[in-house]
Amino acid sequence: MRTARWLTVRVAAHAATLTVLSAVIFWATEVLPGDAVGVLSGQDATEAERASVREALGLDRPPLQRYGAWVVDALHGDLGTSLISGRDVGEIVGDRLGTSLAVLVPAALLALLLAGALGTAAGLRPGGWLDRVLSGVTLGLVGTPDFLVATALLAAFTVGWPVLPAVALVPAGQTLWQHPDLVVLPALALALGAFGATMRLLRAEVGQVVASPYAELARLNGVRGAAYLRLVVTNAAAPAVHAFALMTAGLLGGAIVVETLFNVPGLGQELTTAVAYRDVPLVQALGLTLGAATLAVLLVGDLVTRALTPPSRSTREHP
Amino acid sequence: MVPTTMRKAVAASAAGVAAAVMITGCSSTSTSEASVPQDSGTSTLRAAFAGGSTETLNYLQGPTALDYVRARLVHAPLCELDPGSDDGVAYGVVESIDVSDDLSTYTLHVRDGVTFTDGAALTSADVLYSLQAPVLLEGLPFTKIVARGFDLEAATTPDDATVVLPTLAPIADGRELVCQSMLAIQDGTTEFTPTTPSSGPFTIASFEPGSSTVLERNDDYYGAAPALESIELVSIADGTARVNALRQGQVDYVSGLAPAQARTLDDVDGISVTTSELPYASYLQFTMSTASAPLDDVRVREAIRLAVDREQIVENVYFGRAFVGNDLPALGFPSYDEGIPQREHDPERARELLAEAGAEGMSLELTVGPELAGMVETATLVVEDLRAVGIDAALRELPAGQLFADYQAYLAMPFRAGYNPPAPFEANHTPGTLPEVDALVQAARSGASADERLAASHAAQQLLWQQGNQLGVVFVPNVSAAREGVSGIRELQFPDLAQATVTD
Repeated sequence: MRTARWLTVRVAAHAATLTVLSAVIFWATEVLPGDAVGVLSGQDATEAERASVREALGLDRPPLQRYGAWVVDALHGDLGTSLISGRDVGEIVGDRLGTSLAVLVPAALLALLLAGALGTAAGLRPGGWLDRVLSGVTLGLVGTPDFLVATALLAAFTVGWPVLPAVALVPAGQTLWQHPDLVVLPALALALGAFGATMRLLRAEVGQVVASPYAELARLNGVRGAAYLRLVVTNAAAPAVHAFALMTAGLLGGAIVVETLFNVPGLGQELTTAVAYRDVPLVQALGLTLGAATLAVLLVGDLVTRALTPPSRSTREHP
Repeated sequence: MVPTTMRKAVAASAAGVAAAVMITGCSSTSTSEASVPQDSGTSTLRAAFAGGSTETLNYLQGPTALDYVRARLVHAPLCELDPGSDDGVAYGVVESIDVSDDLSTYTLHVRDGVTFTDGAALTSADVLYSLQAPVLLEGLPFTKIVARGFDLEAATTPDDATVVLPTLAPIADGRELVCQSMLAIQDGTTEFTPTTPSSGPFTIASFEPGSSTVLERNDDYYGAAPALESIELVSIADGTARVNALRQGQVDYVSGLAPAQARTLDDVDGISVTTSELPYASYLQFTMSTASAPLDDVRVREAIRLAVDREQIVENVYFGRAFVGNDLPALGFPSYDEGIPQREHDPERARELLAEAGAEGMSLELTVGPELAGMVETATLVVEDLRAVGIDAALRELPAGQLFADYQAYLAMPFRAGYNPPAPFEANHTPGTLPEVDALVQAARSGASADERLAASHAAQQLLWQQGNQLGVVFVPNVSAAREGVSGIRELQFPDLAQATVTD
């Protein structure tokens, strides 16, 4: 019951956040120098031609009126059409979200697996050889820019040992979901770049739990093997789950480098282009989608944390 | 398959796109012509372009090179620029264009026997509608070039095979306006979908914006039958990714490569790099604002033009894949004045001129953005050269897309990068800087005899060379690469794939 009320409050807060976000994004596109008229007209158009482009795009109306019209349409489920291509914005965002998720979901699962397994293994024996090796490797990966990881993978699997396609070319009429071979490299690149932070947090927490009197008592009482592992990990996981949720949310819109190199045009790449073209309706829709997805991921993270945390502590952590 | 309905909305990135779209010459290009298309059977060409989700079938609003490459395969051109031929154009579904003696009426004769994919014959009404479409369908400014020279509302179609176009003012280069970018579409076409009737060598089997287009041969095409059975146009936004896809054999052909990317392919076995030849190269120029001191002084402008080492830019930025500019547009077009000497790199004279003008140590900010291959790198070298002659020069680099986005701000910049796609000089001249040049260009377009017009054009170019406000350092061609076995692609401003052949 308490969880239901907590959830309702959180969802309402998220809705409010998104409303404010839509205004902020609109305002941000307004203060950016230039508009789609300049982008579309190029440098050789006459003033009269510019004016007719402005009118055709509806950019001759005052900003408040445009924002108001957008809000009304958005509430009716119409996100408008792209100023540049005339395509339905909802359709573009749907396409890009699908592509992003096709890479993100396997990447996040892989990162979870790596972080969970390696973080626990290292934390069980802090200071041991495994811990030292893993610490070195993850620190290295955390400090390596995405494009280096991606380029190294490209060199290894498309040139050195050419077993995977370099670029994700999806045959006409199909989606990325139907082609796991196209997803392997980008997902691996994202997972390798991202799992380090979560893994290190988990390792630290596991180390702490292992050293606590509670774990010692359990060991003295003969708790061993899988049962002991479960006891340690469930007590240590909460902060790492938070970190993992944050990382996943970040990857959704922030995987631009990987999206570009492997030609998996997702939300991040689309947003970059939309901003360059001053395509306001598309920027709005992409921004809000990313915002909503981030809030949703964080919410799921919080729910998992709640489930992992013993009730006595939850009152303290979630007043 | 996503049959996308094209709605209003206007499209096209910067100027690049602009005239970009306009030129598709016919002969005198760097083509590895496949004389006899062998085994016209089951062959498919997979070609990659930058594309992106802004792709649209509406070529009047299309912002990417891919949009025009595709449109040119689907819709037959009325006629094309062909700098080598007598009329300066090669005819398509319009089989000839007559000009009245007073240069005020153009008569277009429509080819007989051309049909659309729905079986309807192509008539003068379709041709006239094709010319009016950029205005009626809110095409981007660069598509409206015909409307700048002709009174399209007063145009008539006396019979099914004839279109009569009155000019707004007498012009001699009306053929070039009509033939710069116009493709034949059916009378009354308002939206462009994969099933919209068309008359080109290929038809659209499927279209997914930002991903791929599958084209199939149109067996009812009136012109030379394509050897390819189908073409798959794929969108790969990043140049490096395009190169990787070619190297791995995922595609047969890639276009729009940056100089450094092309260079990495030079030593790769089984891959050849091709460059479009003149006149199909974009004019990369830096405009100096004459509105304020010290750039209003012609000596300062000449000093800046002399200070820049153009050869070095061609070598170091473009690895030789570019043409040295002489501060004049339209290099390679028939009316380009070859008689004007190439401006040399002369830093000594530049210093003297600056001293004469009292502008030593002047500060100057050059604004640039990544809008054309090598643009930022070229600007970087220009700034270095200017510093070397004592100008306190600085570079301001804008993020992609911003340079032309804020046009008022762009015009207010004292020294700004820009580029013009390959197009004849006279019809594309922007008046307003030097009134004398504007008058000469007018004479070059409306003079009674061809000699008179050429003389006026050369006089205009001479003046621009001496006093103009552009530092035109380099002409940048389109760079493409293909695997062995691909031939017949015409490297115009944008590649024409209609007559390509593929062998294994």
